[in-house]
Amino acid sequence: MKKLALIILVAGFCGFLLVLPTHYALEKTSDDKFCAVCHEMAAMSASYAKDTHSGANKSGVSAKCVDCHLPHTSLARYVLQKAKNGIVEGYIHFFGDPDSIDWVKNLKNREHYVFDSGCLSCHTKVLENELLPTKAKQMHAHYKELLGTQKEIKCASCHVGVGHNFELRNELEYQKPTYKIYEKKMKELRGE
Amino acid sequence: MSNLSRRNLLKISALAAAATALGANQSDSNAPSWDGEYDVIVIGSGFAAHAAAVKSAMRGLSVLMVEKMGRVGGNSVINGGIFCVPLSPKQKAQGINDSRELFFKDTLKAGRNLNNPALLELIFSRANDALNLTLECGAEYRDFLEQSGGHSVPRGYKTSNGTGAGIIQPMQARFKSLPNTEVKTRTKFDKFITDDSGRVVGVEVRENYRFDNKLFDDDRENKSGDKKLYRAKKGVVLASGGFCADKVYRKLQEPLIPDNAQTTNHSGATAGAMLEAFRIGAYPVHVSHLQFGPWASPDEKGYGLASKFNVTASFRYGISVDKKTSKRYMNEIADRKTRADKMFEIIGKDENYPIHFCDSRPVKHMLKEQFDKLLASGALKRFDTLDALAAEYGLNASTLKQTVAQYNEYVKQGKDPDFGKILPKDGTDISVPPFYAMRGVPKLHHAMGGVAINNKAQVLSSITNEPIAGLYAAGEVTGGTHGASRLGSNAILDCLVCGMVAGENV
Amino acid sequence: MIKRVLCLLFCLACAGFASDELSVKYPLKPHHEHLALGCADCHENQGDEPSKFKAIGDKGCLSCHKSKKLLAKRLEFMDVLKANPHNSVHDGPTLYCDECHNEHKESTNMCLECHEHEVKEWMGVTP
Repeated sequence: MKKLALIILVAGFCGFLLVLPTHYALEKTSDDKFCAVCHEMAAMSASYAKDTHSGANKSGVSAKCVDCHLPHTSLARYVLQKAKNGIVEGYIHFFGDPDSIDWVKNLKNREHYVFDSGCLSCHTKVLENELLPTKAKQMHAHYKELLGTQKEIKCASCHVGVGHNFELRNELEYQKPTYKIYEKKMKELRGE
Repeated sequence: MSNLSRRNLLKISALAAAATALGANQSDSNAPSWDGEYDVIVIGSGFAAHAAAVKSAMRGLSVLMVEKMGRVGGNSVINGGIFCVPLSPKQKAQGINDSRELFFKDTLKAGRNLNNPALLELIFSRANDALNLTLECGAEYRDFLEQSGGHSVPRGYKTSNGTGAGIIQPMQARFKSLPNTEVKTRTKFDKFITDDSGRVVGVEVRENYRFDNKLFDDDRENKSGDKKLYRAKKGVVLASGGFCADKVYRKLQEPLIPDNAQTTNHSGATAGAMLEAFRIGAYPVHVSHLQFGPWASPDEKGYGLASKFNVTASFRYGISVDKKTSKRYMNEIADRKTRADKMFEIIGKDENYPIHFCDSRPVKHMLKEQFDKLLASGALKRFDTLDALAAEYGLNASTLKQTVAQYNEYVKQGKDPDFGKILPKDGTDISVPPFYAMRGVPKLHHAMGGVAINNKAQVLSSITNEPIAGLYAAGEVTGGTHGASRLGSNAILDCLVCGMVAGENV
Repeated sequence: MIKRVLCLLFCLACAGFASDELSVKYPLKPHHEHLALGCADCHENQGDEPSKFKAIGDKGCLSCHKSKKLLAKRLEFMDVLKANPHNSVHDGPTLYCDECHNEHKESTNMCLECHEHEVKEWMGVTP
């Protein structure tokens, strides 16, 4: 009996030793401070900083990058996706050509980058909230109706500027204008 | 609204229409059932309309502004925003000597002495009041004074954003902030409603009207909208603008104008509202004098940005040459009619568009954004040498260089014996590359004529030779102030002063 | 039973045909199509006869798209040249949505009326 307790204790301790750094690593690599280390994320973090989700609100509640940009359906999927992202993005950053990514075009793929399970893990009652404006309620009902069908939509399908205060396109354009005519003006603005 | 009352209303408006159409007036017992009442109703939403609306609203009157287009401001928000203010504070500060005599001389010369002296006196004497009204509303102007063609001295206040919207937007905000004011866009004015005595007591309009620029003749073909009657207790100010985009009416005046002629005007600049004023007896004045803006470009549609370069830079500090001769052919800062006539002469039938150009210095007076946009559009081109410029447009390079050398000599001497141009006092000639050039064409720009008004902005009746009670007018819909040809920047002056005066008197 | 099934199939076929016909006659813009919006999502309380539907106006558009100021903000980078179509130098954030944007036919660009050659340097095709 004592032996069993010891095994459990040791296993628990080992587990704890294993979980602690994992948790620490996950924690440290989940916010904009970490994400913005890569310069290609500058526009994302700058626009996020202006959004309520960054804590720029009265209550100070905030969401981290991973709260929206990783799936929250299960711990396994979460960790797996995070590991996958880490490898792919790390590879592109160090060995690929991150500057060639057309982020403005990528904005159209927002449904791929934002996970509803993330949204709904904070906004738990949003699909049933009676206090929302009529149109929002209608569209949330529409969302629920389409769930599981081929026409399924995502939160970000409608909430285009979410998390980035409708500023992501602007930030991207300030850094790398799609239209040449803005180039000079942007440089002047940045004092170059 | 119930079906019953709608039917009644239709009957009444049909009755009103029939009554006015017959020239008869309705008796009080037959008074229309109004959909709303205001002290003042202003038709249009440009400079004149805003000056009238803001001024009357400041007096505590309730004011309705009706505009048929979806956007507020008509031509006033797409023009260059240069406002002539003779004897202005900026002239004084910059040591520019101006006088009543000089202003009259310049304006009468361009107008071929057809200008109404009382109206000229009015716009001259109230210019600074109009300027102050815009400043009070929050309009901002640059320090650099423009010298539009035909003006002997710089008089032009230019809005800081380089368009008339720099005046309209603050005035619109001011108007909306005043109590009992309302703006109805997509609301077309159709008819004046008069009482027994012939006094204008209200208007018939169509709300939810949708202008259709695909129609050849929107005024007559477009039947959209819901009819409404609004009462104007004090009066109606007609400030509906000119008709340079009216393919039917302008052709009646000048049969040679092709239907597809380019105009700087927005597509809603039609004659309908003015014709309704004629129908109730307003005197027509000078309606066949149509002005072409000489500073436009064939390489862009509508108003575009060409005028920014030609008015501010090429005409004032550079020259214009005939492609066939590589020589000058006109005084580049003569009045608009003189220049447009000269340009049409050389353009002829083979689209021989003249080339306007200057060196690198004058473009610095342009607003940077406008200069960049114009250059990027390709309408304005940049050349490192005069040879390159000549090559691009098919000019004779050696003749062109002679033309430039001759002109530079004139600048040095301060006298242009060929065409009598007033040369830049700061000695700017054409010598510091790069050079900037564009092809030019005059475009239909301003209807000189319209309804006759007196110096209280009251519309004069051809039936009584007296003012039509309850009807005022201001701006391009009126005629007489500018005579045969208006000087650049005098339109904003005319519109704001007469609109303000209408707002004071209504 | 077979009769019922056939009847149901027939109804479904009709409904499918009807909505196909409607979507041909009143096509949606791809971004709205993607959201699987139905007629009544925009034409609220306008009955069930599509040929009698009225334009929904700014209020209709803004019931989802919030405000003209917000729409202007999304294109703020264009403000540097005052070319932002939702906040232009001429009009500010005041134009009617359907001055340029059409749902069931091709959209237009009002700026083109005067700036034919410049517009393509400033912005893309009107959605």
